[in-house]
Amino acid sequence: MSELVIEGLRVSVGAKEVLKGFDLTMRGGEVHAIMGPNGSGKSTLAHALTGHPGYVVTEGSVRLDGDELLTLSPSERARKGLLLALQQPFEIPGVRPIDLLIAAGADSSSVRDRMDDEADRVGLRRAVLERFVNVDLSGGERKRAEMVQLGVLRPKFAILDEIDSGLDVDALGAVARRLSAATNEWNCGVLAITHFRRLLVELAADVIHVVSDGRVVATGGPELAEVLERDGYEPFRVAR
Amino acid sequence: MENFTTSANSFLAEHAKNDERRHAWAAFTEGGLPQTSDEVWRYAPLDTFALERFAVPEAPGVAGTSALADALGARSAHVVRVVDGFLVSSGAAPAGVSITREDSGDSLCGGPLLEHYQRDSFSLLNCALSPATLVLRVDAGVHVGAPILIVYSATSGASFPRTQIVLERGAQATVIELFEGGADGLVVPLEEYELADNASLQLVNYQRLDVSAWHVARTTGLLARDARLVQGVVGLGAHYDRSRNDAELRGANASNELRTTFLGSGDQVHDFRTHQFHVAPRTTSTLLSKGAVADASRSVYTGLIEIEKGAKRTDARQTNHNLLLSPSAHADSVPNLDIRENDVMCAHASSVGPLDELQRWYLESRGVSRADAERLLIQGFFYEMLSALPTDLAAIVEADVTDTLSRVAVVAP
Repeated sequence: MSELVIEGLRVSVGAKEVLKGFDLTMRGGEVHAIMGPNGSGKSTLAHALTGHPGYVVTEGSVRLDGDELLTLSPSERARKGLLLALQQPFEIPGVRPIDLLIAAGADSSSVRDRMDDEADRVGLRRAVLERFVNVDLSGGERKRAEMVQLGVLRPKFAILDEIDSGLDVDALGAVARRLSAATNEWNCGVLAITHFRRLLVELAADVIHVVSDGRVVATGGPELAEVLERDGYEPFRVAR
Repeated sequence: MENFTTSANSFLAEHAKNDERRHAWAAFTEGGLPQTSDEVWRYAPLDTFALERFAVPEAPGVAGTSALADALGARSAHVVRVVDGFLVSSGAAPAGVSITREDSGDSLCGGPLLEHYQRDSFSLLNCALSPATLVLRVDAGVHVGAPILIVYSATSGASFPRTQIVLERGAQATVIELFEGGADGLVVPLEEYELADNASLQLVNYQRLDVSAWHVARTTGLLARDARLVQGVVGLGAHYDRSRNDAELRGANASNELRTTFLGSGDQVHDFRTHQFHVAPRTTSTLLSKGAVADASRSVYTGLIEIEKGAKRTDARQTNHNLLLSPSAHADSVPNLDIRENDVMCAHASSVGPLDELQRWYLESRGVSRADAERLLIQGFFYEMLSALPTDLAAIVEADVTDTLSRVAVVAP
């Protein structure tokens, strides 16, 4: 079983330290959720894990099956099995999804069929995948297209950065069903960053982490999401 | 070897019956070559340009065709071959299309060529020294399904191909022009496109000349009511690649979509000029210029949108993006607007910079290596420009562009 271990992670954006010693351990096949108020460091975690330029890791470690990821390039981290699905995936004019996936390591002889299968599974018209990556796609289509990439690339761990924001109920259901299936099909671990409980209900999250001021301040089962919905984040805020 | 002036004079003696040529030659010799002190020529490496090096041919040289020309030809309805400016084969044109050689010296703009191009030294040379005008005419209402390919091969010396494409009322056609060869040569195409009411022309000027060539091209589109010109200009070859692409939107609702793109490497200079002239109301021009410069190459893009008084509800847009692939490369972007009507939509945007860091990161975060991500982004930069091509031809041109790109070094700034 794969394991992702984040220990003592400190990350700065510009002059500001955003993550201040972040710890989290999860295994393949599990669904973990990270919830927290705006500015608590949720998206910073996602971007730092995947080596986004502009997020500077000052301390800590991120190991996937024992291998340190922080010293690797973004593409090496992805090849180790980490995939980030974005809230607002970038438009890449002139680059077709199939060429991206082949360059990312997908088998060129079967990739077309697999893309079509994955598109069908998340209710994305196949023709949308003939367009350049994310260009002229609606918000819902983009997120379904991210799921197609996930289904073809089969990462060990998928990190979802607020992928549920701006999604209608149908799209949310399609995305959540695909992710849930992934946890069974290849023991994909899912780390979902979200503001909303609805995704967690659809996804059946095993573990909820509450983040405040750059650290995990509470960890619990699905019941924690209900507490958050009732009481808000205020009880979890740490004194600065 | 014969020099330019001697060979030009003997060419003119052979073609003595045409006074227009003599007048054009007289106008050229009076004005001479442009100087880099002329604003519109300031980026041209004229200090290394020796016109006398290029002899004017009396007859077409012997030129084979490239694999690229053959591949494009295999998917075209008709192939026309022009060597050193001479029409050498045109075969039986598709129904409703005629391909002829004319020596009238008239411009489609009205009046003689000389009058229209009198302030442009290189065009004057074409007026004087082109063997003849290749006229491709599509009859009224005829829709030519598959593309017509014109292959312009240059052997060496100077060549002055002149082309006029005329689409009569309601005609539709796709024309691909491929320029190749031209090692140590000078290639000066002069082209005019006349689109009558409701005619539609999809045109690609694909410049694939040898990197030692000088290429100084000028095209002018003339659009009547409801006419539609979609033009793609691709410059990959030549030492100095100058391409001036103008359009006059003369009839209401006419539209011009122009996509120009170039890739510079070594010490190439790509010099792209555009002029969209809106004369009639409700006319549209959409101009997208994208280029990449590597090594010590440089580029300039200068575009003018001119809107005449009375061209109400004109919509004119101009976008120019330049990609710097090396710290030694350089790109200039100079958009200009001249608007004499209030009721118009007009916009321009330009950028010069390296590859987008976040786009690259997005690809890398999927597991694409940095080198592959850069390759995909640079290819994508060009593929976007080729999306106007018919699909099966686009695949051939894409493969050719990819091959060219694979030889270009990308150095992070």
